[in-house]
Amino acid sequence: MIDSSKAVLLKCNDLVVGYGHEKALVASPVNFELNAGEVVALLGENGSGKSTFLKTLCGLLAPVAGTVALCDRPLWNSTDAWSARERAKFVTLVRMSGVSCDRMTVREFISLGRTPYAGLFDGRSKEDEGVVDEALALLELEKFSGRWLTELSDGERSRVYLAQAVAQQVKVLLLDEPNAFLDIPRSRKLFALLQKLAKERGMGILVSTHSVEYAEKYCDRIMVIEKGCVRCEMAKEARAKGLLDWTEE
Amino acid sequence: MRRIDHRILVGFTLLVALIAILSYLTLFSGTVGLSWSDLSFVSHNDSVESRIFWEIRVPRLVAAVLSGISLAVAGLALQTLFRNPLAGPFVLGISSGASLGVALSLLAGFSFGHFGVLSGAAVGALAVTAIVMTVASRFENSTILLIVGLLLGYFIDALVSLLIMGSDSESLRVYVSWGMGSFGRLTFDGIWIYAVCTLVGVMLLVLSMRYLNAARMGDDFAKNLGVNVRQGRVLVLLGASLLAAASTAFCGPVAFVGIAVPHLAFMLFKTSNHRVLMPASALCGVVLCLAASQFSKIPLNAVLSLVGVPVVLWVIVRGGGIRK
Repeated sequence: MIDSSKAVLLKCNDLVVGYGHEKALVASPVNFELNAGEVVALLGENGSGKSTFLKTLCGLLAPVAGTVALCDRPLWNSTDAWSARERAKFVTLVRMSGVSCDRMTVREFISLGRTPYAGLFDGRSKEDEGVVDEALALLELEKFSGRWLTELSDGERSRVYLAQAVAQQVKVLLLDEPNAFLDIPRSRKLFALLQKLAKERGMGILVSTHSVEYAEKYCDRIMVIEKGCVRCEMAKEARAKGLLDWTEE
Repeated sequence: MRRIDHRILVGFTLLVALIAILSYLTLFSGTVGLSWSDLSFVSHNDSVESRIFWEIRVPRLVAAVLSGISLAVAGLALQTLFRNPLAGPFVLGISSGASLGVALSLLAGFSFGHFGVLSGAAVGALAVTAIVMTVASRFENSTILLIVGLLLGYFIDALVSLLIMGSDSESLRVYVSWGMGSFGRLTFDGIWIYAVCTLVGVMLLVLSMRYLNAARMGDDFAKNLGVNVRQGRVLVLLGASLLAAASTAFCGPVAFVGIAVPHLAFMLFKTSNHRVLMPASALCGVVLCLAASQFSKIPLNAVLSLVGVPVVLWVIVRGGGIRK
């Protein structure tokens, strides 16, 4: 088992996110650390800026202000900044919506997770194939391996997206509403799996969701974006400290 | 996996065998049949057979092979880049640019140096490529690029129409003939230029393999996998433009191959991995072009559409169970 000591994997200082100063979604500066071995739930109303926040943390969107660092190394604006490929070996964002290719099998898609490790001609080694097999098994997708991506239900596709991220073997996993299309048993399994991945592989996981119940039960901390401000507390104390009051308004 | 590997192996073997048969037919059959048993004409000499072989058959074979490779590979890369199954080497206005160059040469009397019409087509195609590349470097959105390419095509077609209006009937006849496409225009001197353009274009696309495989799921997805999207897009556009420009310059505007062949290759190989699909498209393109070159007296575009459309439709309908 990997040592899941509280090493800081991701850190943001005075972070403001959005699409320019005028369109800052999280306008109040955020200071946050994501540690190895923990799962943090990200809650907030639709349009509160959860997806934009996640995109900024994984380097797809430049911050409006402040910094994001992975293992004390900045993501942006530094001579020491992460290269795109090295970054992709360390952090990834899993989204359940977006483009879906109608000519790709499940295995081909999961194999894309090995892209950061591939050479110039995008070949896959035996080791890569082994990692893909492992991801397929972990998400119970072996029987879907040869199916076309577009033939799957939304729920099945959600698991495939997660398997692709698992195959990417990152340390920081960011997920944007991974259980949006999952039924209750699958949702529970997913959160249990995230907990397992965090503990066993020493990963830091930040998952945006609308499932307050799972956030309280399976996550170590809860982070809430409300009216442009971010608050974060231990999951067990979040309700008592009023972090979830907005859900009952 | 084993089943897929078997399919790939069988597919490539069949395509190579077809290419060998069609190459033989291109070189040795025709109005003047050349004997396979007496290959004396293969050594350069002044005999009629030798001249037919070296000055007509070999350049036609090379033109068909290089066109098949360039158009199919460029079409595949552009369909991936734009995530649009109707995209092809001609959606970016490159064909129109080449047409304008040729129209300026044939209809307006502009001189483009040693290669005449060929240079005109190349200059026109490359000018449009330069405009497209400028747009590509300024906009991240591939859809904008597609729209700019189409608009550019319409604009240039209008300019060509104006040139056609003021031209005499003989110039017009030559221009219309160029527009029908042919593998018979490539000369022995031009082979090397065409081959080098094709090699460079294909190399640029091969170097973009990581981008092409990841870009099928969108630019953000590719960035998330650590792929340099901007660089990949520029390389693909440059490579595809070079391939389309060279092919249009030497063989005329042949649109069908670039649009249809990538679909044909997918239906045969059932994978969207460009490591397989790119060589598969190239080989399918060569087969189609060599098959079309057997009908040297009929305009190329007509043969490709008359022979190609039923074949491609048949393959697509047969493989229709893939995705409802």
